[in-house]
Amino acid sequence: MESYNSQRSVYGKFKVVLIILAGMIVGLFAFNVYVSNAVSYLSDDPGTCMNCHIMAPQYATWNHSSHREVANCNDCHVPHNNVFNKYYFKGKDGLRHASIFTMRAEPQVIFIKEEGKEVVYNNCIRCHSEEIIDPRIEAKVDNYMHILDNRYCWDCHREVPHGRVNSLSSVPYARVPVPESNVPAWINKITK
Amino acid sequence: MTHQKRKTLRNWLLFIIAMVVVFFLGLLASSITERKAEAMFVYSPEVEIGDFEPRNEVWGENFPMEYETYKKTSDSSYKSKYNGNTMIDMLEVDPRLVVLWAGYGFSKDYNQGRGHSYAVIDARNTLRTGGPLKDDEGPMPTTCWTCKGPDVPRVMNDDGIAEFYMGKWARLGAEIVNSIGCADCHDAKTMNLKITRPALIEAFERRGKDINEATHQEMRSLVCAQCHVEYYFNKNIVEGSAYLAFPWDYGTSVEEMEKYYDDMGFKDWTHKLSRAPMLKAQHPGYEVYLTGVHADRGVSCADCHMPYISEGGQKFTDHHIQSPLNNIANSCQVCHREETQKLIDNVYERQDQILGNRDKLEELIVRAHVEAKFAWDNGATEEQMKDILQGIRHSQWRWDYAASSHGGSFHSPVEISRVVSTGITIAQETRIKLARLLADLGHNIAIPYPDISTKAKAQEFIGMDAEKLKNEKEVFLQTIVPEWVKIAEERENGWSVKYL
Repeated sequence: MESYNSQRSVYGKFKVVLIILAGMIVGLFAFNVYVSNAVSYLSDDPGTCMNCHIMAPQYATWNHSSHREVANCNDCHVPHNNVFNKYYFKGKDGLRHASIFTMRAEPQVIFIKEEGKEVVYNNCIRCHSEEIIDPRIEAKVDNYMHILDNRYCWDCHREVPHGRVNSLSSVPYARVPVPESNVPAWINKITK
Repeated sequence: MTHQKRKTLRNWLLFIIAMVVVFFLGLLASSITERKAEAMFVYSPEVEIGDFEPRNEVWGENFPMEYETYKKTSDSSYKSKYNGNTMIDMLEVDPRLVVLWAGYGFSKDYNQGRGHSYAVIDARNTLRTGGPLKDDEGPMPTTCWTCKGPDVPRVMNDDGIAEFYMGKWARLGAEIVNSIGCADCHDAKTMNLKITRPALIEAFERRGKDINEATHQEMRSLVCAQCHVEYYFNKNIVEGSAYLAFPWDYGTSVEEMEKYYDDMGFKDWTHKLSRAPMLKAQHPGYEVYLTGVHADRGVSCADCHMPYISEGGQKFTDHHIQSPLNNIANSCQVCHREETQKLIDNVYERQDQILGNRDKLEELIVRAHVEAKFAWDNGATEEQMKDILQGIRHSQWRWDYAASSHGGSFHSPVEISRVVSTGITIAQETRIKLARLLADLGHNIAIPYPDISTKAKAQEFIGMDAEKLKNEKEVFLQTIVPEWVKIAEERENGWSVKYL
């Protein structure tokens, strides 16, 4: 009983400090969730991709394309075969992007990866299948499906939708949404 | 409320207060960081830059990102298949060059150049500028300094343009000390691109064009065209002045410039073996680029050699001017989706194929020079040799146009192939005439190809004393250059820099 009591008293001595420390850790976590716009990542808003400013060319070119009216980033760039796969892919890709951006390791010209290409390709088909497959030709032409399936859509439709000039610097004056300031107006007023 | 309950409540309160305090401290920290970041986007000049400020490091105070990248031109570690920015002794790589340029400075010493920041040092070091011990000694005129750095517009402004081109190279040794940099291409007040060399402005004027009408995108090539062009020294414009001029009056193709030179009866030198009135093509990089598909699509020199980059969300031009082969991602891949290695292979393939024919042409011209010398030695007359010498002049001009345009076989592969093939035709026509002449002179046998397998053998073949040149250079570098550096340092120490 003796040792149990002494342990209790040590805990009691530092209890206040520990509680404050725990509060600080939870507070800091909440703060990081807030400043990183973490909640926005659950949405489909293209503005979310602009949390990282290096996505400006992708946003600006999409924003000037006809796809703007019907498709957002996620419609093309994450899989839509089932909801678990969607968030798995989004989480995986998002964390990779966030890590690269944080370490300032982004290339000047961003290329899409193999995995991403497959996702986009399947999403082209998801919306455009009726324009792609013509049952009359399919009935007449041997290997029709093979011929159809041996290249990416954008091997020919090269402008769709991001244009052909790829560089972080390609749209220097584009008006794109930038992350809003995390500082509330009243703090700005005080610190003015 | 019991004691225990009060204690639990107090603990929760402490926990929540700590949380909230940290959260707001975070917000405050954010505000401070944001305010600090604002300063980065405000242009805050450190110094006032004078109109003819030649010191690149002074400009660098105001434009650190551009200056930091410019300084990378002192990196000499990149080697492509044929060029790059490492110093390569081209006469050693290809000793036939010694014979082609016999009697002319380039047979003494010719290296693959290094980056812009070595312009002054390499001009002092090359054997072509000799070992002058006095201001009025040495083989070269002051005009050779014209492209070496931002001290040139300063001295031209002080002394006058025609006056700049007067006298020997050594006369301005203590003046031209800062290597190619900021003030060569930029206006000190507006930072706009600016043409600082009169030869380009004058060449435009003679063709009835106003260079001030050029668009910004054109200027991104024209600032390079101040130097990376074919030029010559005209001694008939101003008495005593080796006036720098571009032969563009009829146009910039190989035939148009050749006609210009032929019409005015100009020659750079008389060939030591064949006695042909030779033309030395300098480096018609801009002229060749104009004929290529990239120029046709509106791509400028800077688009590939100084691509835009973004750092921290700020876009600026990479002032590390270099071969795009060392930076495929930022140059080619902005427009071309292919893999890096694929794009490099595409360039090398064009270079390999054109070099194959250019090599052949080179050998034919060496033979023509040797055969012409043989004809002279066996009693050929001026009248008999006239057409032959003109043929040698024209074929070597074409060879040199292709060779000295450096990136030419990529900048415009079709045009360069055409130029090389017309060169081969002229060289062979000339050698048929030579064969007939030699037969007339009683020599119906092949003239043996000389043993010029190394630079030393080739220089010996043309009768050059390379050791003497090297010794003179050594003395010059030990005695004269330190004096120049000292005078320049004293001058620049006298200039104040106005900090803002």
